[in-house]
Amino acid sequence: MPFLEDIDIAFIEPCVADPGRVRLYAEPSRDLAEVLPYLNAVINHATYNKDGPSLTFMKEFRLITIYPRRITMSKAQNTTDAWQVLDWLKDLINDTYDRRGSITPVHGVRWRPTALQIYEWLPRTNCKACGEPTCLAFAVKLLLGERTPQECEPLFLPEHASLRRAFFEIVAAFGYPAPPGYPAPPGT
Amino acid sequence: MTDSTERWGKPVCVPGDEDREQERGSGRGLAGSMTDVDIYMDNAATSFPKPEAVIEAMADFMRNVGASSGRGAYRKALEADKIVFRARQAVARLLGVADVLRVVFTANATESLNLAIKGLLSPGDHVVTTSMEHNAVWRPLKAVERTRGVTISQAPCAHDGTLDPADMEALLRPNTRLIVMTHASNVTGTLMPVAEAAAIARARGIPILVDCAQTAGVHPIDVERLGLDLVAFTGHKGLMGPTGTGGLYIRGGLDLVPLKDGGTGGDSMLEHQPEWLPDRFEAGTLNVCGIAGLGAGARFVLEEGVERIREKEAGLLRRLLDGLSEIPGLEVYGPRDPARQVAVVSLNVRGVPAEEVASRLDREYGIMVRAGLHCAPCAHKTIGTIQRGAVRISLGYFNTEGDVDQCVRALARIAGRLSEVRLHADRS
Repeated sequence: MPFLEDIDIAFIEPCVADPGRVRLYAEPSRDLAEVLPYLNAVINHATYNKDGPSLTFMKEFRLITIYPRRITMSKAQNTTDAWQVLDWLKDLINDTYDRRGSITPVHGVRWRPTALQIYEWLPRTNCKACGEPTCLAFAVKLLLGERTPQECEPLFLPEHASLRRAFFEIVAAFGYPAPPGYPAPPGT
Repeated sequence: MTDSTERWGKPVCVPGDEDREQERGSGRGLAGSMTDVDIYMDNAATSFPKPEAVIEAMADFMRNVGASSGRGAYRKALEADKIVFRARQAVARLLGVADVLRVVFTANATESLNLAIKGLLSPGDHVVTTSMEHNAVWRPLKAVERTRGVTISQAPCAHDGTLDPADMEALLRPNTRLIVMTHASNVTGTLMPVAEAAAIARARGIPILVDCAQTAGVHPIDVERLGLDLVAFTGHKGLMGPTGTGGLYIRGGLDLVPLKDGGTGGDSMLEHQPEWLPDRFEAGTLNVCGIAGLGAGARFVLEEGVERIREKEAGLLRRLLDGLSEIPGLEVYGPRDPARQVAVVSLNVRGVPAEEVASRLDREYGIMVRAGLHCAPCAHKTIGTIQRGAVRISLGYFNTEGDVDQCVRALARIAGRLSEVRLHADRS
């Protein structure tokens, strides 16, 4: 019997900013908290938030966050793509769990997204409203702690709701809480 | 429920019935109502019976799920999504396809071949095919010849249906845009040199489309290892699913113009078909019930193992060919060698029209086979039977040695030579 038998998609919707893609959350058939530090060691570009706990990483162009009882995914190509990636993730989780005796768990944050990855989740309008000449510059300043997510005004426009959710998932992973009044990401 | 006697008339009693049900493998969980007098040997048309799991999967979907896939976020809709994904995954595994997204579902192999041919060929293109093709290949080619000015070259096959890949290579031109060929003939069962043809295609940078209607599920095929670009399959033959299911594998990096445009679910904002597979080619509500059955059928094949299925069918075919070789007055077409063909055999009884042979097999012996041209006039021209057609016997995984022996005996009677025939089964 594998550690994790199944992951079922529980909710799916089109990405508002990218109607050709979908975002979703899925429910694992068991609690994943104990395996997260091991996954953090195995997925070398993941960001682990031990207080959540949650583990965030990119799978190609998809943003995935694993919580103990929930997995979120943004920018999947379609449901077929989502199922295929969830199958991959299930196998990875089971393989990691089986090999946990030989893996040193990592409990700290060991990776931060790059400016380009943050930039991917910004509206990319280069509107300069934040005071930076470009959105890429804003992303760099955000990484350096010189700007806050709330300073990106277009991000809070209704048409960027999908980007906004995903954006706060990725920046939460390296320490930025969601702004007051903004619903926490699913699963938190 | 009409019983078999009413349906078929009083069957001629032939020895060997008693072991048939046991031999057929009732423990395998077969669905269908095969009786002692029904011997189904038209598996090249569609396989029968189906594994019980196929019927169960379809009934479960109809009773308990019912929702459309890719069209909603409620639990039943997501369950339908998952059923479709698992079916796609099972088929991908059977074909040796790593990326499940590259498998597109269609209504049948014919639709898949139309999608590939019409989605790829443009005016001025040249296409190379073989002289053993089914109309599912030939008619779409003739259609684009007429509507788009595409030119066609047909590589000549030998009388047993075999193809020398060099004969195909010799036909290639600078504007050859596609090679299309069957994996195995639906008339003679002849296995075609797909690996060699794929190597030729790859060396020239020409896409190759393979029609696997007769091979998917009954003969191993490793699509990615062979480097095939497009592979059409049907769900209701070797994959054991229901009719109305099929699909097309499309290699990554190769785009086709969709055959149809329309709704695909979650990406409704887009004014054109989405770029992503499989949605790009799956406009309209999917046949989820059929796909549920196809998934169960493909999983059955995976569990049994294609090699094991192939081995069993080859054994039955050997027995059939040996038996037929003992009957004077038969013309048997094709390689007559289980290593070089799938379990499909066409034949004629000298002096008896094919339709009469098939009809007598059915009415007098309860043996179901198909006579005529089998939607493949090209192949019948090649083997020399375009005028008279032939009787096609196509065996399946659930046929038994007893079935084969009864078929041989029945043909011997129809040929009027039973007294001259000492069958293998009678000697053992």
